[in-house]
Amino acid sequence: MEIKDAYITNLGSFLPGAAVNNEDIESVLGMVADKPSRLRSRILKNNGIKTRHYALGGNQQTTHQNSELASMALRDCLSGSAIDVRDVDMLAVATTQGDLPLPGMASMVQAEMEIPLCEILTTHGVCSAGMMALKSVVGQVRLGEKKHALVCASELASRLLKRSRYEAVAGDSVDLEAEFLRWMLSDGAGAALVESRPRERGLSLRVDWIEIYSYAADFDLCMSCGTADQKDWNRGTGLRDDAPFGGFDAASVNGLQRESRGAVALLQPAQYQQRSWQDYRTYADAERAGALLIRQNLRILENIVKVGVDGFLRLIGDNRIRPDEIDHFLCHYSSHYFRGRILDLFKLAGCMIPEDRWFTNLYEKGNTGCASIFIMLDELFRSDRLKPGQVVFCAVPESGRFTTAYMKLTVVEGSSR
Amino acid sequence: MLSERELQLNGTAQDLLRRLLLVWLEFERHLGRIPIIRRLEQGSFTLNDYNGLLLTLRPQVVEGSRWITRAASSFDADHCELRSTVIRHATDEHRDYKMLESDFVAIGGDIDEIRGAARNIGTDALCGYLMNQASQPNPVDLLGAMFIIEGLGNKMATRWAGRIRELLRLQDNATTFLSYHGENDSTHFEKLYNILDSDAVSEVTAPRILRTARVVARLYALQLEELGNV
Repeated sequence: MEIKDAYITNLGSFLPGAAVNNEDIESVLGMVADKPSRLRSRILKNNGIKTRHYALGGNQQTTHQNSELASMALRDCLSGSAIDVRDVDMLAVATTQGDLPLPGMASMVQAEMEIPLCEILTTHGVCSAGMMALKSVVGQVRLGEKKHALVCASELASRLLKRSRYEAVAGDSVDLEAEFLRWMLSDGAGAALVESRPRERGLSLRVDWIEIYSYAADFDLCMSCGTADQKDWNRGTGLRDDAPFGGFDAASVNGLQRESRGAVALLQPAQYQQRSWQDYRTYADAERAGALLIRQNLRILENIVKVGVDGFLRLIGDNRIRPDEIDHFLCHYSSHYFRGRILDLFKLAGCMIPEDRWFTNLYEKGNTGCASIFIMLDELFRSDRLKPGQVVFCAVPESGRFTTAYMKLTVVEGSSR
Repeated sequence: MLSERELQLNGTAQDLLRRLLLVWLEFERHLGRIPIIRRLEQGSFTLNDYNGLLLTLRPQVVEGSRWITRAASSFDADHCELRSTVIRHATDEHRDYKMLESDFVAIGGDIDEIRGAARNIGTDALCGYLMNQASQPNPVDLLGAMFIIEGLGNKMATRWAGRIRELLRLQDNATTFLSYHGENDSTHFEKLYNILDSDAVSEVTAPRILRTARVVARLYALQLEELGNV
């Protein structure tokens, strides 16, 4: 079978509403229990983000559905391309949380866009979900199964961040873990058109490869939504009471472990029954218990830089990329703080990419999760920075349970001058 | 932690350093999967765990000073710089086990118990391998072993010491061994970088250094996996 090339021939993005600066965030998201946050300024100082966008109107009313954000970015992408919706033979959509738990978000976006019969794919995860969607599409184009495929990554995090979410939790359980992401995430969507041929005029980006590494078995849950206590999902505690385990039932395994470790019981049945938000008697109970808050464990988060560099060193070791061939480095770091940590580790490992080759719009566009890398790439693509033959290297580390995605692109000129 | 000088490492040393770091990062994740370290990270680490850790480390540390001095004696005159470094390193560390003993006593342990602690089967494998390598002529590959073992001190010891004190509510006098290595192994690590940039590292020795690092990482993890299995 002949493997073809796949090209990103256009990009698009959409950021809802006006840019919101640091001073105004709390009035847009709402002040929890009418008290100003004590953590806000410290977290904002660390992440370095100056402005961002929210699909929120007065009283935290959502202004756009997630599928609408996605469609706006896709229209932006299509408007500068040589095709229209009738030519699209695949649509892949990534998001952390769609408008509806089901069906898949790609179905909703296809309907919103009125794209006729085509193949669809929904990827669900956190920041790396967009790269997963893109990789799948690129693979199909390279196999010759598709010719004009659309990819979109869209996030509507503000639904999780508005004041009422925190006020609905019983007692005093809004701690740093639950509040941290309130000052990190915002809304937006990005899209790309992947085709089997470069565009006729202007520049395209040949996708040389996409690599995704998941380290989930090595770490505990770091970023999640849907559980009141991330520790309930720790590695080594996933035994079910009724599940036979190596010939023992869980209760006796538990007893053995307790005995051998002199530690407390690993399973506490009452809690165990409510590990997921769907395990509560009512969804209202889950919300009161804090199971619907988005959480980030900061102690585990520091591993994100290590896994990011681990993947990069792997790719260098396999001769898939050389630091000195990279002309534009796009890294989806969530916070300016991490930029410094990445630089330190790059220096240590001798794989430094000079800082003048780093490109980001985190500080103006915000951290839009899986959409970020597309929004960054879109801005770079529209700038006059790209020259034929240049190499663009993208890195997307995700802290959910530690996944990293990398992509090598080469800038190519149009097929007809 | 490190000066700017590693940026000017020669090509072979640079490539070796990247590969060693990758071995290190994989080793660090492996450590996180080992029950005792996982309990330390997750917060269910007990005094019994710390007790077992100290009993495991003492025989390893005692053996450690033996293989380092053996290595020093295996270098010929062409490697005298390296030999001097190794001798100094051995002098620095050959009484470290006394810190482990005092930590053990600080948590209520019996001095005779830790002095009589036997090697577990992982420690046996680790020390046996290191002694074998140290007995070869000019055992430059032991730089790989130092990268892992000094790396543990440099990158993990301070963090572990703090976490152990926090979880078990202990005072500084109960974690002197880990704290000492946390504070001093960065100097040792700096020396290691200097050696990496010397003639000792060549296209011939680099793969051997890397291999020894991989084996030592595996055997060190084995030692922690086999806690109490003497």
